[in-house]
Amino acid sequence: MAFLIRTIDFTAAGREIVRDRMVDQARLTVGRAAECDIHLPDLAVEQRHVRIDAAADGTLTIEALGTLGFGLDGRVVTSGTIAPITGGEIALGAARLAVAQEGDATLVTIRQIADDAGKTDALRGFALASALPSKRAMSWVLAGAILLLLLAIPVASHLLRTPVKPDPKGEVPGQVMLDAAWSTGALSLKHRSLEGNCESCHVAAFESVQDNTCISCHQTTGTHAKMPRLAKGMPPLSQGDALQWRIGTALGKEGPLGCVSCHSEHEGPVRQKPAAAAFCADCHGSLDTRLTDTAFTNAHDFGKEHPQFRPAYFASFGAAKPVRAAPGAKPVERSGLKFPHDIHMNKAGGAARMAVSLNQYGQPLECKDCHNLTPDKVGFKPVKMENACEGCHSLVSGRTISGFSKLRHGDVKDLAEDLAHIASGPRPALAPRRDRPGQIGSAAPYRADFGRPVRSYIGLSNALSPGGVCTECHLPTRGSTGQADLIPVNLQGRFLTSSFFNHAAHKREKCTDCHAADTSKTATDLLIPDLKSCRDCHLGAIAVKTKKIVPSSCAMCHAYHVPAGQWSPTGRAPHYKPAPVADEPDKTVVAAIARSVKQ
Amino acid sequence: MASAAKNRFKQDEKRRDSDHVSFLKHRGFRWLWIALALSGASIAGYALIDQQPRPNGGTWYGYTLGTIGFGLIIWLSLLGVRKRRINPGAWSLKAWTSAHVYLGLALVVVGTLHTGFQIGWNVHTLAYGLMLLVIITGIYGVVVYATLPASLSANRKEMTRAQMLDALAAIDRQLESAAQPLGRAEADLVIAALAQDTFHGGAWGRLTGNYPRCATAQALIGISQGSDAERRVHSLLEKRRDQLAQIRAVLRIRALLEVWLFIHVPLTIALIAALAAHVISVFYYW
Repeated sequence: MAFLIRTIDFTAAGREIVRDRMVDQARLTVGRAAECDIHLPDLAVEQRHVRIDAAADGTLTIEALGTLGFGLDGRVVTSGTIAPITGGEIALGAARLAVAQEGDATLVTIRQIADDAGKTDALRGFALASALPSKRAMSWVLAGAILLLLLAIPVASHLLRTPVKPDPKGEVPGQVMLDAAWSTGALSLKHRSLEGNCESCHVAAFESVQDNTCISCHQTTGTHAKMPRLAKGMPPLSQGDALQWRIGTALGKEGPLGCVSCHSEHEGPVRQKPAAAAFCADCHGSLDTRLTDTAFTNAHDFGKEHPQFRPAYFASFGAAKPVRAAPGAKPVERSGLKFPHDIHMNKAGGAARMAVSLNQYGQPLECKDCHNLTPDKVGFKPVKMENACEGCHSLVSGRTISGFSKLRHGDVKDLAEDLAHIASGPRPALAPRRDRPGQIGSAAPYRADFGRPVRSYIGLSNALSPGGVCTECHLPTRGSTGQADLIPVNLQGRFLTSSFFNHAAHKREKCTDCHAADTSKTATDLLIPDLKSCRDCHLGAIAVKTKKIVPSSCAMCHAYHVPAGQWSPTGRAPHYKPAPVADEPDKTVVAAIARSVKQ
Repeated sequence: MASAAKNRFKQDEKRRDSDHVSFLKHRGFRWLWIALALSGASIAGYALIDQQPRPNGGTWYGYTLGTIGFGLIIWLSLLGVRKRRINPGAWSLKAWTSAHVYLGLALVVVGTLHTGFQIGWNVHTLAYGLMLLVIITGIYGVVVYATLPASLSANRKEMTRAQMLDALAAIDRQLESAAQPLGRAEADLVIAALAQDTFHGGAWGRLTGNYPRCATAQALIGISQGSDAERRVHSLLEKRRDQLAQIRAVLRIRALLEVWLFIHVPLTIALIAALAAHVISVFYYW
């Protein structure tokens, strides 16, 4: 068995020096000692480090001679074998002994390798970081993109924009870029057109939506009461609420009476919901303790505590303004009309018989023959004499070529004119007859009468006097010059002025269930039902719902901003019907009062 | 003196014991209980407090939860700063890590309740989504830290990473001399195998352990075993393949151990940016 030992060295210039020597023995010793078969002058190598034994088949057995191991194919071991075909590499210090079979001999090639500089760099390859972009770079890119797109651009374009006037129809596109990403939710249905124009409400940076901004579009929205009274009537805030509002107002919120404290937006594409009964009862449940001068009595639950209705009516003939009835009083309405409801509604009376005989009725009179709902289903259209009364109470005055002539209704002057055309007083005979002494020119076939129109005065006077055609329904009076006249009709369009009553919702009831018209003998009866009759069905919001009992919150009959205007959950704008009265002098806009309170 | 020494011994024993307690079990799951208490209190408050008109981040309770969540996110992200500060004091890094894990999980509850379950395509939900992604990757991190190191150690077979590379280098040197008698085509295959980067294959290769373009495998297919020289090269290539397989197993386990951090950390920074945009935008358009 022989070993061919090949030593490869390098000159300073880098030239390779190869030296071969044959060692004809089956065992080799390797170490720093000079007597070793392979001498390695390296302090990291032991004096006698390893022994290499060759078996007959060429397999090499390597044994460490000391306690220090050696490297075999990269692993540190103290003994090992090398198959002749594969070969192997022994590492001792900086020397690498490549062992391989060459012919019959075993070739041992000795090379010095460079030091381990750069090894730790190679180890870095094990970390995943070597195969992925750095975390720091990814962090900067992501954070930078978010801060730029979602913060810097919206803020910059908001600060640099040219403010425009309020645009309720949403015709002007929003100027702030990318602020749609700031929206916390869709706007309510009525504000949908403002969806792309955030700055129309969010006017200034870091400032809560201001009442003035709301009012710039909602100019006609009435106020519930003047701000100082609202503030005084409010129950004291709980400690927690007070703290919240102290913080909120310090940061620019308008306070608990500002628009946005009730009307919160970005709650999805829905309608604003009516307020809860508790919302009203917060103040109205014990209003008298705080607003000592208020005319309102306390109310917190329709079934338990609610003031008696106080319908508005005209208490004297020709009054300029209606008055509100005292609670529980029996008002006497001075409308200027005569109208016994009972006679007209009596199914067996003369009025019923006449109606049966007339084509336009054909049956006894019903309420709807005279009273027709307005489109909002709350009130009734004014009763028109021509439609409702004239079928029976005819004003026909004579024949004309085309039919009948009739007296105009509505103005006494018109009536006087119409009467002047007809001769309802004594008139000359139509045929010539023999003159009698004292009679003037009556025998002539045609003659003008140049005298004063006494006859028409008499006719007018007859019509307007008690027993005349007008006084069937109207009350006679005397004018300023003593002439016959009628008391003007003065009827309230709406009796309950601080709430609304939807007649359409009560279709299943008969009119007379609530309005005692069938027993009313005179027009001075005010047929507005009282609280008790409503409570037959309507109890407070917390009442248990049954077939008969309807739990009724305040919002069923009252609206906050316009008490008599019904909030309609469906249909087109405006929400309030009838439209609120604009610019009422004693009702100023919320913000104006808010400002006066602040000052 | 004796008692002082005894105390010192006791203290050291205690420290040595605690050195072997997982950060998850730190101090009898102290931070787990704190996190559970925080979550329970948040849920109870959400259920019991009447928030008008509906629960969201803009009610007082929403602001409270939001402030807690904001503070937690900032504090949790400071683990990256804390772990780089090797200093003595009452703040144990293990306690900090334990709190990081459990309070991070509690943040799911606090953050979700802060949203009031209102989700949309906006910067607010972006912050929430990033927070959830960070927490999910964190959960993955805890799981792999608890399970994978054992298999990493098993795969090493008492070799260090440097030794694995050394072994490969040794095989490569032998391959180079063994391949001398080979023809052109086969020599090219060996050159390709030797030239290929040990760590080639990218992040995907590391995670899946799938290296379709491994030059060593291709050389094994391409080199026949006709002559002695070819057989020798072939067996050396097999050794190389086995050594590469061990290295790649390390790479795979390490990639699985580390990959979550490449989402967790950048998304945390992105989350802090989104959180800033969220808070500023809410009050900018108040």
